[in-house]
Amino acid sequence: MALDVKRFVARFVEEARDHLRRLEEGLAQLAVAGVSDAEAVNALFRSAHTVKGSSRMLKLVAITDTAHKVEDVLGALRDGSLAPSPELCRLLQRGVDAMAAQVDQVAETGTPSDPDPQLLAALAQAVSGEAAASPPPPQSAAASTDASPAEVKLKTAETVRVQLSKLDELIKLMGEVVSSHARLRQRLVDLRGFERAGDSLGGRLQGFARDLRDDVFTQELLMDELHKKALIMRMLPLSIVFEPAARMIRDLGRSLGKDVQCVTAGADIELDRQLIDRLSDPIVHLLRNGVDHGLEPQAARQAAGKPGHGTLRLSARQDGGFVVVEVADDGGGLPVDFIRDKAIKKGLLTAEQAAAMTETEIIDLIFLPGFSTSSIITDVSGRGVGMDVVKRVVVDELQGSIAVESRPGQGTTFLLRLPLSLAVMRVLLVQAGGQSFGFTAQYVAHLLDVPPERVITVAERKAVIIDNEFVPVVPLAELVGLNAAPPKRAGCLLVVIKVRNEKLALMVDQLLDERDMVIKPLPEHLRGLPLVSGMVMTGRNDLVSVLQASTLLDAARRQRGVAGPSEAVSGARVRVLVVDDSLNTREIEKDVLEAHGYQVTLAEDGLDGLAKARSSEFDAVLTDVEMPNMDGFTLTAALRKEEAYAHVPIIIITSREKEEDKRRGIQVGADAYIVKGDFDQSNLVDTLKSLLG
Amino acid sequence: MTENENGDDLTLDQVLAIRRGAAGPVVNVDEPLVKLVVFVLNGDWFAFHGDRVKEVLSDCPVYFLPGCPPSLEGVINVRGDIESVLSLRSVLRYPPAAPAAGSRVLLGQGADLRSGLRVDSVEEVMDVPQSLIQAPPHTIPDHLRPLVLGIVAFHGHMVTLLDMDRLLADYRAGAL
Repeated sequence: MALDVKRFVARFVEEARDHLRRLEEGLAQLAVAGVSDAEAVNALFRSAHTVKGSSRMLKLVAITDTAHKVEDVLGALRDGSLAPSPELCRLLQRGVDAMAAQVDQVAETGTPSDPDPQLLAALAQAVSGEAAASPPPPQSAAASTDASPAEVKLKTAETVRVQLSKLDELIKLMGEVVSSHARLRQRLVDLRGFERAGDSLGGRLQGFARDLRDDVFTQELLMDELHKKALIMRMLPLSIVFEPAARMIRDLGRSLGKDVQCVTAGADIELDRQLIDRLSDPIVHLLRNGVDHGLEPQAARQAAGKPGHGTLRLSARQDGGFVVVEVADDGGGLPVDFIRDKAIKKGLLTAEQAAAMTETEIIDLIFLPGFSTSSIITDVSGRGVGMDVVKRVVVDELQGSIAVESRPGQGTTFLLRLPLSLAVMRVLLVQAGGQSFGFTAQYVAHLLDVPPERVITVAERKAVIIDNEFVPVVPLAELVGLNAAPPKRAGCLLVVIKVRNEKLALMVDQLLDERDMVIKPLPEHLRGLPLVSGMVMTGRNDLVSVLQASTLLDAARRQRGVAGPSEAVSGARVRVLVVDDSLNTREIEKDVLEAHGYQVTLAEDGLDGLAKARSSEFDAVLTDVEMPNMDGFTLTAALRKEEAYAHVPIIIITSREKEEDKRRGIQVGADAYIVKGDFDQSNLVDTLKSLLG
Repeated sequence: MTENENGDDLTLDQVLAIRRGAAGPVVNVDEPLVKLVVFVLNGDWFAFHGDRVKEVLSDCPVYFLPGCPPSLEGVINVRGDIESVLSLRSVLRYPPAAPAAGSRVLLGQGADLRSGLRVDSVEEVMDVPQSLIQAPPHTIPDHLRPLVLGIVAFHGHMVTLLDMDRLLADYRAGAL
């Protein structure tokens, strides 16, 4: 595909200037304060890293070289092998200035001048720890940094150029109109109240209410249309991100000696520019990882019967009000054992914890900060500014979700699910602990009104069974630090939120509303608040916090951890294998068993369970029935054929209550059959105790 | 004249006139004036520079923000923009108090942070000559010292002039 570089150069210049400005400010602070605030240095490092990456994308090698050297020094500052000093800050500043001059040259002529070899040498020397002999500053680099933004010549005349800030203002104004309309609608509700109250004014009021209703309706139609039009003005095709990324990846493959093909699909899908701008970094990072870690060397590929050239697929498709972006490679899949070992080596978890984790959970470790699987630092990736940043951008900033699918020998696919626009989202409003809260609709899996007896107590905490899965129940008020009001109603009102494959049922007092709403950002200094992703305004003009689903799940997990009884309940460390495809169910069973002193290992399906049972020894096995790859009946039958498991107790825990299922369970060799509906911890533990003798 | 400066042969009127001159501000018209927003916190008088206070808001409902630090009351809606509200009592280590009727929110603008600041009451917005602002005395408590720009007399009260930039920057850095 022919690439119109000009389109991207202008974007690069804008973005690079932004990052260079941040570098400049950050360095100034570092020079004054003289202390290294880890997060500040990290932010500088990321800025340098981004300039390096995006300049490479456009083959602006001269800038890449300088940025790389600056990044090296900042990397050394970050890991503490260098201490900040005024000299060092000056040197870094020179690097930043040189880049700024180069960027200006790109804006004017399209090509940057070559990097100053003295500067590069001085930066390299600084990394090695030697005091840099301060060379005289170069006379060049005189280009003014505040040059006006580059002009971009668009090919067609069907477009109008609008300054982005103006467009942002228009959209913000539209948001206000939407909010004011909501107030108008509230007036209508109030008016109906009057109408019911007083008969005297009856006739006149009725007529007025009808007119007002019509007005509100007409305005709503107009306003929706206007809002859509305004938003569309800010939409850009994904090709803006896809095209340069694909080209960069092909070049990168060549530089690494890997023959790489990069195919794109769905690049004409349009997203809000707010998303497009922030999507580039995560996608480029995922693609680089694909080339660097995902694709095997050519010889290994041919030996495995695959084509010699690796393929990266970058595609997008629409899914309801969302876009799913897939970044896939046809490499060897994620090295699960390697990831596990590395996590242990880095002290992120103990060997015992690691052994109890399922494959999916191990794969999720790559999203932890500081986790980078490349054992040598290359120019490409392996820096540890990686998957954690990808996750943060996608989940926290773009209100999306990220999932990984890895098939050994066949490749890895990252799925990013993103809203089309961040300006308006479907929001569910609820009340809990006397306050109102919002949830963006993509995280809400179910709304349930269940009788209290369906909320069962497992391991001293509440849970409810939804679709054959234990889902923990927590009062929302408790998670956000409010006092839970005593229930005013007979049933339990539950909002079940879902992030990736984990669910949590939040007990709320009332459902208030569900509507498309304008999400307003918090003031900048509060953006770090993990619980709140933004605020919406209700018809009564009240501000309501929109809660971050992933943080609520974390908080609920922490609460469990604190409330959980200590390990040393009983001296007998009986080893139990728990096999269930539901993360929540596994976790709950694990908690119950650990509370009673058992040592628990988890497996996510029958095959995983069988492999774990074979590779290690267990005193008992607990399994679900319905699971992918291998069901619980088959697993039980298979285990009975193994010599080591011929007599080990096997307990089937399922929601299948039919007699024939129970019979089948016993036939294949299970010792006990527990129906999830009757599940309580004593039942499970007593059964286990009696079976173990 | 010479006699007068030496303190000799002064009439009572002359003495009084000199006293008044020393006690009350004799404003030199050319002297630069500074605008101050004077407010009260737990009975103590404070001020911010007027150019650091964008607006004085009354009667604005404060909304709950889960997970925010205790010194933060919540957020307010200022014509479509969400702004935080800091409890200045909490930031300056005064005991908390229930919001009273005269309570106001100052919309403060620091170098890189804007936030509302809850005060007990706003007493005056006034222009004073730069020269009347005196250096802070040594009796200022340690935790306040870095925030104080100076003091100025007003209606028989000593008004402590606070540095909005420093206050908001320190708050953001977690130092307050």
